[in-house]
Amino acid sequence: MLGDFLFKGKQMKIIKLLSLLIALVIGTAATVMYSGAVDVAADEPHSDLVYWLLEKTRENSIKKASQGIEVPDLSDPELLLTGGTDYEFMCSSCHLKPGQRESDMSLGLYPVPPNLSLPPESHESQEHGDAVQGDRKNFWVIKHGIKASGMPAWGKTHDDQRIWAMVAFIKRLPTLTPEQYQILTAID
Amino acid sequence: MKTHLIKTVSKIALVLVPAMTLSLTATAHDPKLHVKKAEKADCSKMDHSKMDMKDPVAIAMMKKCMKQDDKSKDKMDHSKMDHSKMKTTEQKTKKKDGDNEHNH
Repeated sequence: MLGDFLFKGKQMKIIKLLSLLIALVIGTAATVMYSGAVDVAADEPHSDLVYWLLEKTRENSIKKASQGIEVPDLSDPELLLTGGTDYEFMCSSCHLKPGQRESDMSLGLYPVPPNLSLPPESHESQEHGDAVQGDRKNFWVIKHGIKASGMPAWGKTHDDQRIWAMVAFIKRLPTLTPEQYQILTAID
Repeated sequence: MKTHLIKTVSKIALVLVPAMTLSLTATAHDPKLHVKKAEKADCSKMDHSKMDMKDPVAIAMMKKCMKQDDKSKDKMDHSKMDHSKMKTTEQKTKKKDGDNEHNH
């Protein structure tokens, strides 16, 4: 009888403690949200911890979501022509082109969009894996976009074939000279 | 009176000069950077000697330039012109001469 009473008392204490903890977490979150203390300016970088958390979440999410995508043959030269024109008009202002180091968009966006005219290994905080995984990842990102990053979901207005053409072009982009880029991306 | 005017002008200049300088630096960013022009392929820069014709990039470039070349030829297609309906230079000169005679 006494044992039961003591056990119930302990349970109550744990429940009270947990409730207090939950209230504290909700209270803190609400204070942070409603106080306006969080700086959302794009020219003010996140702390290292927040950046790391967001980056890991993003990279793992893309990796998991793109895992099952089947990569078609991307060696058809025609893909470079379709993808090149689309890249010039949809992507180059943020992701740059051969011979270009920065643009208004690449300087102003946060997180900084990767310079796709450079080899994938040189992209900071980006996990590409092997070549096939890199293609899968690029396809998924172009099609679905990334929340709160400035990367739009082009899949809403472009079919898969056109997105794969962009993937094929991006694959060859780091090897192109400015002259080659100009020819491939020019309008017919 | 004059000194008062000079003082006022110098005060205005003191405010205006830095304000104008600042506004100029704000608009110094070249608006051309925002304009995306639909450019034609500059095929004159293609170096055929350095091109590997098995490389998809080289093949794509060749395709693009050939297509562009064909299009510019199409624009200058004279085959559909009906020469029989066109006046020759001789006919034009004769007409002009006739006009001149008539005027005399």
